[in-house]
Amino acid sequence: MSDINYFHAIQILEDNCTGCTACVRVCPTEAIRVRDGKATIDTNRCVDCGNCVAVCKFHAIIPSSDPLDIIHKFKYKIAIISSSFFGQFTEDISYGVAKQAVLELGFDEVAEEAMVTEFMIGMIRDYIRANRDKRPTLSSNCPAVVRLIQVQYPALLPNLFHQEAPMSILTRFLRDKVAQREKLSESEIGIFLIVPCVAHVTAVHQPEGAYKHLQDGAFSTGMIYGKVREIVKKIQNDPKDIDTYPQGLTWALSGVQADLVDCEDIRALSVNGVENVMDILSKVEDHYLDQYDYIVLRSCTNGCVGGCLNVENPFVAMSRIKKMIKEGESKDINVDELEALYAKGDFAVVPLTPRPIMELDKDIKHAIKKMKRINEFLTMLPGLNCSACGSPTCYALAEDIVQGKATIDDCVILLKRQNKDDDED
Amino acid sequence: MENALKECFSRAQEAEVTLEFDIPEKDFNNAGKGSSEVKNLLKRLGVESDILRRIAVASYEAEINVAAHSKGGKMMSLIYDDMIHIKFEDMGPGIGDIAQAMIPGYSTADDLVRELGFGAGLGLPNIQRNSDALHISSEAGESTLVEFLIFFT
Repeated sequence: MSDINYFHAIQILEDNCTGCTACVRVCPTEAIRVRDGKATIDTNRCVDCGNCVAVCKFHAIIPSSDPLDIIHKFKYKIAIISSSFFGQFTEDISYGVAKQAVLELGFDEVAEEAMVTEFMIGMIRDYIRANRDKRPTLSSNCPAVVRLIQVQYPALLPNLFHQEAPMSILTRFLRDKVAQREKLSESEIGIFLIVPCVAHVTAVHQPEGAYKHLQDGAFSTGMIYGKVREIVKKIQNDPKDIDTYPQGLTWALSGVQADLVDCEDIRALSVNGVENVMDILSKVEDHYLDQYDYIVLRSCTNGCVGGCLNVENPFVAMSRIKKMIKEGESKDINVDELEALYAKGDFAVVPLTPRPIMELDKDIKHAIKKMKRINEFLTMLPGLNCSACGSPTCYALAEDIVQGKATIDDCVILLKRQNKDDDED
Repeated sequence: MENALKECFSRAQEAEVTLEFDIPEKDFNNAGKGSSEVKNLLKRLGVESDILRRIAVASYEAEINVAAHSKGGKMMSLIYDDMIHIKFEDMGPGIGDIAQAMIPGYSTADDLVRELGFGAGLGLPNIQRNSDALHISSEAGESTLVEFLIFFT
C-alpha cells in the first residue's frame, strides 16, 4: 500500500451516518465499508467520483470545498468558472448576468473555462497526431477518471493526454499576465475555480502530475449558488456588457466535445457515467477499441453538467447549454500566447504513476495463497451480495476477512442461519 | 516446441487456482466475460500490467472465437505462481486447415458474426503473437482445443 496520504474533498459526518450501506454499494472502487455502524472511506481507493455524496440521504457524506472568504487573503482575486455553471440557471437569467454575478461576489476578474475550448481542441488534435503509437489517447480533464485509471487500469496511464486541463492552463496563463499588468507578485494574486464536482476540488488541493502549484482554492457551484442568485436579482434589470464565450461551453458536454475533436484523420468516442467509463477502459485494455484515436471519458452523467455539486438536473443543464451554443456569439480570443506556451512545453504534466489497490500481496506466491483462502470463504458465504455486513459484495467480505479487516461473523445471513440451527437443537 | 515448454501444458495437477467459464454458441452479449473475469483475478495477484494486457488480448480473442465459430464450449484457466495456462475446448465443428487459419486475414466467419464487428481473420494470429506457447488440436468435424501459456516474468 502507498505511503502517500491522499486528500479527498469528501467528509463523513458520523453523527448523521445510519450505517445504511447505500454508499458502499455505489462506490466504483469498493472504497467504502460500514464498520461498527458507520461508513469509512479507504483513502487509497477513493477516486472522488462523488457517487456516495449523491446517494447519501442522511447528509452524512458531504462535499468539502473552501469557504468563500479565503479570497480576501489576496490583493487581486480571479475566479475561473467551469463551463457547466451556466446551465444551472433558469432561462430568464442570461449567461452574461450569471457571469457578472460571480464577479460581484468579490472578485477583481472573472475568466471561464469556455475561453480556451477552441485552443484545447487544437492542442488535443496536435497531441493525438504526435502520439499515434499510444492510441487511443484518453482524455485527462476529469480528475476522477485520471484517478480511476491510476488505481484500476495502470496499464493505460501512458495513453492519458499528458497536458494540463483547460482551467489549469488558464490559471498559468493568467497568473503571469496579471502579475505583469497589475505589477503584483505572483503570490499576491489569488486564483480560484468554481467547480461542479468533488473531484475538481480534490484536484485543486492535491493535483496529479502538476509541475507547480496552480490554484489557491475551489468553490463548489452549489455553495455559491444562493449568493449568486441574490446578486442576479439585483443586477438583472440593469446588466453590464460582459464578454461571453457560448461556443466554448461544449467543454461541459462530453458528447459534443468529442464531436469537435473528431475529424478526417481522428476518430473520437465519447463516454460518460462511471460504470460506462469502467466498461470502456476494460475494453481499451483488451485492445478492443484500437480503432479510436481519442476517447473522451467523464465520470458524471453527460459530462461535467452531471457533477454532484451542481444544482440542476444534468439533462436540463445540457439542453440549456446547447441552446446557448446555438444562439449566442463568442467574443474572439487571441490564442497566440497560449500556442507559444504549448510549443514551449509549458502545459506538459509529469508522467502519471500508478496507485495500485488491487493486489492482495506484493509477493505473487502470498497473493495466490490469499486468493485460495478468499475462494474458501466465498463458498461459505451466501452469495446474496446484500452489503448488510458493511462490505459491498460477498467477494469483498471474503477479501476483507483474508486481509484481517473483517470476520465471518460479520455476515448477518450466516448468523441468522446459525441462530435458527441453534433454536432447532 | 521444446520439451520443457510442452511439459508446461501438462502441469494441471499443480495449478494453484482454476477458473471455469461456459461459452454458449453465438452468445455475443456475454462473450468476453470469461476473459474479463480472469483479468480481474490476475490484477488481484499483482501480475504486471504489460503481461496482463497480453493475457487479456489472447483470452478475449480465443473466447470470441469459440462463441463465433463453434457450437459452444468452455474456457478453463489454470493459474500457477509463474504462468497462466488457458484452455478453450469446444463442441465442433473443428478447424479444417489450421495452417490456413493462422494466416492473418483468413476467416470463415458467417454474416451474423461479421455484422457484429468480428471475423476479421485476426483471432488466431493475435493469440499467437501475445502468447509464449500456443497449441491447437482439431480436425474437421471434430471438437477443437486451443490452449496457450503466458509466463508472468
